[in-house]
Amino acid sequence: MTVQAPQAPAPLPPPQETPLRYQRGFRNLALQAVYVGITAFVIAYVVLQLGGREYGFGFLNQPAAFDVGNQWLTNVDGTTNSRFTMYLVGVWSTIRVVLLAMALSTVLGILIGVARLSSNWLLSRLAMLFVEIFRNAPLFVQIVLWYAIVLYGFPTIQNVINIGDFAFLSNRGFAIPWPVPDGGFWGGPDWLVVIWVAALIGAGAAALRLRRRRQLAERETGQVRHPNRWAFGLFAAVALISFLLLGMPVSIDRPIVEGTSYAEGMGVLPEFSALLLGLTIYTAAFVAEIVRGSIQALPRGQTEAASAIGLTGYQRLTLVVLPQALRQMIPSMTNQYLNVSKNSSLASGVSYYDLFFVANIIQNKIGHAVEVFLLITVTYMLMSLLISVVMNYVNRRVTLHSV
Amino acid sequence: MSEQPPIPPPAGQPRPPHPPRKVVLPPHRERAHRPLSVRAREWVRRNLFASAGQTLLTIASLALVGLIIAGLVWFVFFEANWEVITVNRWLLFAGGFPIDQTWRLWLSVAVVFPLIGGAYGMWADLGRRDLLFIVLASAFLFYLMAHGGAGPTSSIWFTASLALFFAGYLVCRRVPRETGPRRTLAVRSLSTLIALALPIVLVILMAGGGARASEFGGFMLNLILAPVGIVGGLLLAVPLALGRASSLRAISWTCTAYIEVIRGAPLIGWLFVALFILEDLISGPLIVRTMVVLAVFTAAYIAEYIRGGLQSLPRGQAEAAQAVGLSRWRTMQTVVLPQALRVSIPPIVGQAIGLWKDTALISIILPLRELVGNSRAAIAQAAFIPDRIEVYAFAAVMFWIVAFMMSRISQRLERSLGLGER
Repeated sequence: MTVQAPQAPAPLPPPQETPLRYQRGFRNLALQAVYVGITAFVIAYVVLQLGGREYGFGFLNQPAAFDVGNQWLTNVDGTTNSRFTMYLVGVWSTIRVVLLAMALSTVLGILIGVARLSSNWLLSRLAMLFVEIFRNAPLFVQIVLWYAIVLYGFPTIQNVINIGDFAFLSNRGFAIPWPVPDGGFWGGPDWLVVIWVAALIGAGAAALRLRRRRQLAERETGQVRHPNRWAFGLFAAVALISFLLLGMPVSIDRPIVEGTSYAEGMGVLPEFSALLLGLTIYTAAFVAEIVRGSIQALPRGQTEAASAIGLTGYQRLTLVVLPQALRQMIPSMTNQYLNVSKNSSLASGVSYYDLFFVANIIQNKIGHAVEVFLLITVTYMLMSLLISVVMNYVNRRVTLHSV
Repeated sequence: MSEQPPIPPPAGQPRPPHPPRKVVLPPHRERAHRPLSVRAREWVRRNLFASAGQTLLTIASLALVGLIIAGLVWFVFFEANWEVITVNRWLLFAGGFPIDQTWRLWLSVAVVFPLIGGAYGMWADLGRRDLLFIVLASAFLFYLMAHGGAGPTSSIWFTASLALFFAGYLVCRRVPRETGPRRTLAVRSLSTLIALALPIVLVILMAGGGARASEFGGFMLNLILAPVGIVGGLLLAVPLALGRASSLRAISWTCTAYIEVIRGAPLIGWLFVALFILEDLISGPLIVRTMVVLAVFTAAYIAEYIRGGLQSLPRGQAEAAQAVGLSRWRTMQTVVLPQALRVSIPPIVGQAIGLWKDTALISIILPLRELVGNSRAAIAQAAFIPDRIEVYAFAAVMFWIVAFMMSRISQRLERSLGLGER
C-alpha cells in the first residue's frame, strides 16, 4: 500500500525497479506454486499406489454373517442384517459407553478435584494419590487390568456376591435392579409409561421455570423464597400424583441368578464394566486436575469474602466457588469429552463390540480397508463435532457476557 | 507499610548509639520454637480434626487407606503368583531380542541414563520426592533382576548406569543457572547429545551382528517407539504450525486439513491404516510404518500447541523484528519461533507423556509385540492362564514409572522456565 502525500515538497527520486525475484507478490505466488506442485505429486503417488484396489461401498449392504454381542435395547441378528446395520449397532454401543463415561467421570472428577483442595490433609493426599496413579498409567492397560480383575478377581457365579437380593457381583459382571414398564393396578397397557415420562419432562420444565421466577423474585425483593425447595416440591408432587393416577406404570425388576447367568433386572457384562470403569477413572483423574486448576485460578478474595459474610464451608463451595470455577473449566472439559469419545475405541482390547471392533471384523472378513477406515473416521469426526457443538452451546449459555 | 525516613542527627552532634533491638519473630517462627510434640498435636488438630465434619472425613479416609493397604498387601504378598513375571522376564523386557546380545541393551541403558540425569541437572533439581522415587524404582528393578537369577552381570551394569545417572546430574548441576555463554554452550551440547541418543542406541542395538528390527519387542520396543514418535512429530510439527498460521491460502488450508483429519480419528484408527493401507505406500518392515504413523499422528497435536504459542506472542515482537530490518525468515527463526516454542514446551511434554502411554495400545491392532502384546503372550502359556492380574499390573507399573518421571520433569521444567510469571 502506498500513501500519497498531499503535497510533496520535493519530487521523490524515480522508483527503482525491484527485481522480480524480490517482489512479495511474485515470491508468494512462486512459493505456493512449488507447494501445490509437491502436494499434487504426493497425492498422485498415493492415488496411483492405492489405485490397484477395488473400491465401492456396496459391501456394506451385504449380509453380515457375524454376530455382535453386548447389545442393549436392540437385538439385531447378524445372519440376515446387512454389515452396515451391524456397524450401526456398534455405533450405538460406543455412544452408550461414551455418554455414561462422560457423566460419571465428570461427577467423580469434580469430587476428587474438590477433595484435592480440602483442608483435611489425609483426604487431599488421597485425592492426589488417585490423580497421580491413574493419570500416569496407560488407559489401555488400565482397561485390560480391570477386565482381568473382574474375570479372575471376582467369585464365580456359583459363589456370587449377593447384596441383599438386590444386586449381584460375580465374574459374569454385575446385575442391578432396573425399572420396566408395567400395566399397573389399573391393568392398563404398557405404553402408559410413555405418558408418565412425558409428565415427568413437563414437570421438570415447569419446576425449572418456577425456580427461575423465585430466584428473580428473591434477587429483587431480598426476601427468602426458597427456589430450590419449591421447584423440587412441584416436581415431586407432579411425579407422584401422575404415577398414582396412571396406576403405577413402572415397576422395579430385581435381578436373579439363573443357573450360570443373570436373568431379569439389568445385567452388566464384564467387558462393558471394565471399559466403563477404565474410561471413567482415567478421565476423572484429568477432570480432577482441571477442577483443581480452575478453583485455584479464582481470586482468593472470592472465598475470603464468602467466609466474611458468614457462609459455611459447604455454602462457600456450592454458592461461590464451584459456580465460578465450573464456568471456567468448560473449554478444558470439552477436550476431555473429545478424548473420551476417541478413547472408547480401546474397547477392542476387551472384545466389547464398539464401532471400531465391528468395523475391524468387517475389514477382516471382506477387506476394503480404505472404505472401512473412511467410515470409522467420519463417524468419530461426527461424534467430535456433536460434542463440540453441544459444549460450545453450553459455554455460550454460562459465560458471563457483562463484566 | 512504608518506613519512616530516619531523622538526620543535628549537625555537629555525635550520632547517639542504637538502643539494643528486641528480637520479635513473626508468629509462625514463634510457633516453630515450641517443642515438637506440641507442634505435632497442633498440626494434627488443625489438619485432621478441625471440626466434627473433618473428623468424620478423616476417619472415613483412614478406613479407606486401611482397606487399600490391606488389599494390596494381601494381593502382592499372599495371593499373587509373581512367577509369571520372573519366568517371562526376558519376554516382557526385550521380546525376541537375542539373549546373547544382552550387553547391547545394557550399553544402551548406560548411554541413556547419564543423559536423563543431565537433563535433570540442567533444567530441574532433584527434589526429595524425585530421589525417593528413583530409589524405589531402582530397588524394584534390582529385586526383579535378583529374583530371576539373572546373575551379577546385570546388577553391575545397572549399578554402573545409576552411577552414571548421578554423575550426569552432578556435572550438569555445575553449569551456571544464568543465561550466558557457558550455559548456552552446555545446553547446546546436552541437547545435541540427547538428540543423538536415539540413533546411537539404534546403532548399538543393531550394528555388527546385533538384533534385527523385527526382533525388537517387549518394554524395549515401547522405549524405542515413543521417542521416535516424539522427535519425528516435533520435526514435522514446526512447519505444520507455521503453515497453518501462514497467510498463503493454499498452504494454510492444507495444513489445517491435515491437522484436523489426523486429530479426527483415534490413534488406533491410524494404526489400522499402518497395517492395512500404508503397506502400498511405504515399503519396509511394519515397525517402520508404525514409526511413521506415530510421528505423523503426534505432529498434528504438537502443531496445535505450537500454534497456540505463536498466537500468544504479542504482534509487536514480529513487527519490531521487521522494523529493525530482519527478513521474514530471520524474524521467524530468531524472534518468533524461540519464544513460541518456549511457551508450548509444557503441553508438548504432556503430549509426549500421552504418546508414551499410547504405545501400549499398538498391540491391539498390530502384530508388534511390545510390553502389552507380550503380556498377552505370557498369559497364553498354559501354566500362567489365571495370572492375568499380575501381568497387567506389572505392565501398568512399568509404564507408570516412566510416565511419572516424565511428568515430574515437566513440572520442574515449567517452574524453571518461569512460565506464567512474565
